[in-house]
Amino acid sequence: MSVLKIDTSDKHIISLAAIVGGPRSILFKKADLLAYDCDGFTIHKHLPKAVVFPKNTEEVSKLVKYCSDHGLPFLARGAGTGLSGGAIPVNGEVIISMVRMKKLISVDLENRRAVVEPGFVNLKLTNSISDRGYYYAPDPSSQYCCTIGGNVAENAGGAHCLKYGVTTNHILGLEVVLPNGDIIEIGRNGVLDEPGYDLLGLLTGSEGTLGIVTKITVRILKNPEGKQTVLAYFDKVEDGSQAVSDIISAGIVPSALEMMDKTAIEAVEAAAFPVGHPKDIEAVLLIEVDGIAAGIEEQINQILEVCKKSNVREVRAAKDEAERGRWWANRKTGFGAMGAISPDYLVQDGVIPRSKLPEVLKKIAQISEESGLRIANIFHAGDGNLHPLVLFDARIPGEIEKALEAGSLCLKACADVGGTITGEHGVGIEKREEMRFVFKEEEILAQTNIREVFNPDNLLNAGKLFPTPGRCVEIKKEMKV
Amino acid sequence: MSVKDINVNQATPCTSSQGNYLWRDPPQEKKWADCVHCGMCLESCPTYEQTGEEQHSPRGRVYLIKAVAEGKLSVDEHFANPVFSCLDCRACTTACPVDVDVGGLIEEARGQIRQAVPLKGWKGAVNKFFLHGVFPHRNRLRSLGGLLRFYQRSGLQKAVRKTKLITIMPQHLIELESIMPDVKRSHRKTHIKAKGETKHEVALLTGCVMDVFFSDINDSTINVLIRNGNDVTIPTNQTCCGALHVHAGDREMGRKLAKQNIEAFEKAKTVIVNAAGCGCMMKEYTELFRDEPEWKKRAEVFEEKVVDISKYLHDTGYEKPRAAITTRITYHDACHLAHGQGVRQEPRDILLDIPGVEMVHMPNADRCCGSAGIYNITNPEMADAVLKSKMENVPEDVEMISMGNPGCMMQMALGVQKYGRSQKIVHTVQLLDWAYQKEVGDDHHVRLKD
Repeated sequence: MSVLKIDTSDKHIISLAAIVGGPRSILFKKADLLAYDCDGFTIHKHLPKAVVFPKNTEEVSKLVKYCSDHGLPFLARGAGTGLSGGAIPVNGEVIISMVRMKKLISVDLENRRAVVEPGFVNLKLTNSISDRGYYYAPDPSSQYCCTIGGNVAENAGGAHCLKYGVTTNHILGLEVVLPNGDIIEIGRNGVLDEPGYDLLGLLTGSEGTLGIVTKITVRILKNPEGKQTVLAYFDKVEDGSQAVSDIISAGIVPSALEMMDKTAIEAVEAAAFPVGHPKDIEAVLLIEVDGIAAGIEEQINQILEVCKKSNVREVRAAKDEAERGRWWANRKTGFGAMGAISPDYLVQDGVIPRSKLPEVLKKIAQISEESGLRIANIFHAGDGNLHPLVLFDARIPGEIEKALEAGSLCLKACADVGGTITGEHGVGIEKREEMRFVFKEEEILAQTNIREVFNPDNLLNAGKLFPTPGRCVEIKKEMKV
Repeated sequence: MSVKDINVNQATPCTSSQGNYLWRDPPQEKKWADCVHCGMCLESCPTYEQTGEEQHSPRGRVYLIKAVAEGKLSVDEHFANPVFSCLDCRACTTACPVDVDVGGLIEEARGQIRQAVPLKGWKGAVNKFFLHGVFPHRNRLRSLGGLLRFYQRSGLQKAVRKTKLITIMPQHLIELESIMPDVKRSHRKTHIKAKGETKHEVALLTGCVMDVFFSDINDSTINVLIRNGNDVTIPTNQTCCGALHVHAGDREMGRKLAKQNIEAFEKAKTVIVNAAGCGCMMKEYTELFRDEPEWKKRAEVFEEKVVDISKYLHDTGYEKPRAAITTRITYHDACHLAHGQGVRQEPRDILLDIPGVEMVHMPNADRCCGSAGIYNITNPEMADAVLKSKMENVPEDVEMISMGNPGCMMQMALGVQKYGRSQKIVHTVQLLDWAYQKEVGDDHHVRLKD
């Protein structure tokens, strides 16, 4: 393979290719690079300098060291399904693609942990251990194709995080290549409560700005004995929201509690996995409980009762596993389904106290009206994680800007009621400026100081996560208005 | 930047062109408009699985196809590489939340590439010889069949193998030669009456390759049809379905063949197809006639009549065989049956209706085997890698692998041979036919391989 010649005179490309073993592990021609100019966030685009595909930690370390020594900006990318632009090479980075490091290294059922390479796909872990009665809990909607390395970078959530927590609650250890090329291990052997700083917590969700994860030890869980899902249709969003609050107040801890509004229902029903939701309802709830089989029926009855008290139009439990599967496929492909009703969309990711749901939804409806853009809402209602999806057409001049502004206003509405600007998608380049909605100058400085320690030259994934100094003045002005 | 903006200053030979697509029948904007770049398709794609490279993934390809229309990329060899590395297996459309027709886009893009960058070298020769010289011509196909028959029967095959003459062929052609089915001469009537009372009248596409290499399967199809009360007509002026041409970007030839078939089957109420690739193509003929409204209308009528044999039997009913075939089998979903036509359960039900048949689940049964028309000839390295992962999923303890597409049958037979497996390759309808035959005591054997 390495006998193939590299068709370029760029010495950096030649050197990088040599590290990864030849031309089959590097892309540098425009037609090949174009597919890497954005990720799941398609508003900002920039071509990388090259894309390299290392096979192991040593190669990652050498690549990083090379970039660092030669002042080349670089970043790590998994499946590129991120929704905040964390893997977009805004500075013409060398993209270090982790997708060929996709082995399941070991499974240790006795200690309930597994070790994976960062390119290993989320759902494949569950699929590899489900026959033995185990699963990996964090389940972002993109779990069919997103990588666990990317999940660590973004601290990904998912529908079932209400009961089981987000990615950070399931990470036991990491092998990390630091921006100078050093290889470190944190959370060795998955033993809890390591002395010293909680680097595991710091690295998870650092959006690829502190290091590149090359090996991950994750917690795996025993399959719950029983599982049941309820579907409920509401004529009014307020009633649906009330039901959400009442379910939690009743002491039930659902494993998932999802809501979709009218526009979202229109999209999923027009897309590839329709289940026949009525078009005239304002909200559909998907409520799942799991645990020991004995208590499930009682919890389901309680949920049915609560929904009835909240003026539900129709409520029922899934009649079998197939129906349950259809309901979830319909929900989990919800973002992509927007393509059926709009050429482009921008998804936001605010978090609010559950009780503020009706108020914030009203505000979002108002933003939609004022901007003239439709906004669909799909959300993890149980933990107050909203996903307003701003629908627009990038071909119409000015619509991108309008959509960005509407998205930003949605986040402001969340911050204003005591919430925050991201629950699981990360800040990336999309919400950099909105960090000002929730952090003071000093609080942002405390964080960028930490980045300085790990990433002093800011060559690794620069321009992400924190606001650029220039624009904060404008945002501040906006906040005062 | 809108498509219209780019078009203004383009001097193009065709009025319907967009951006850097300069020829008739370019990729349609409405096909990519639904793609929001979510990435749900990535893991469904065999070539992304092998390479991890996004330009070899469905969303990457769609992105590049769109980039050409936007004028960001030109139709050249660099663009051709990801577009032609696609197996056109359609698994991405199954995975897609909004059913983006990636296969259709790929075929249209190939049409543009083939006009911009004509094939050269041996790939060009292979394409030209088979796609223009052989497949569309029944007589030439028969002659080729005759030649092959001569090659196999005369001892020449043995001689070639013995004298190592075969070593001058490229490796993948040697492998294909070694699994070449036994070619039989077929003389068939054009009308075959149903056994007993006539319940339905159907016409059969006998196919081009199918009728030379797999005439057994056509025989089985006819047996099964007449056994279940169908009068079968075989129109003599029918031709190759054109799938291989359209997959290769030769849409002009595809249109020519489509027209001939639409005419040949004009009188038929139902057109039975036993090759998934042909069925899928014929159900998409309207795609070829976007700017020929008259033919588009006729194609729409035609499409509705086309049905896969397993779906037809399932929908109209068939007698369950009384004789048993005691065997453990597994089923491979041909891409153009499962992803292309949504036919998944029907063939499995047929197999399970045969007494004595035990079905073993094949993981990722609807994953491409790498055959993909003539992909295994034009992209042997990738086809081989895809085949390898397919074979890893074939359960160890089965005697047969059943499927509904001749291309898959050849490729899977190659896989069985190459990876030292023992399974026999059968078409679903063959197994049903054998069960019927067994009722009258005529025990058939799998004929694909000795």
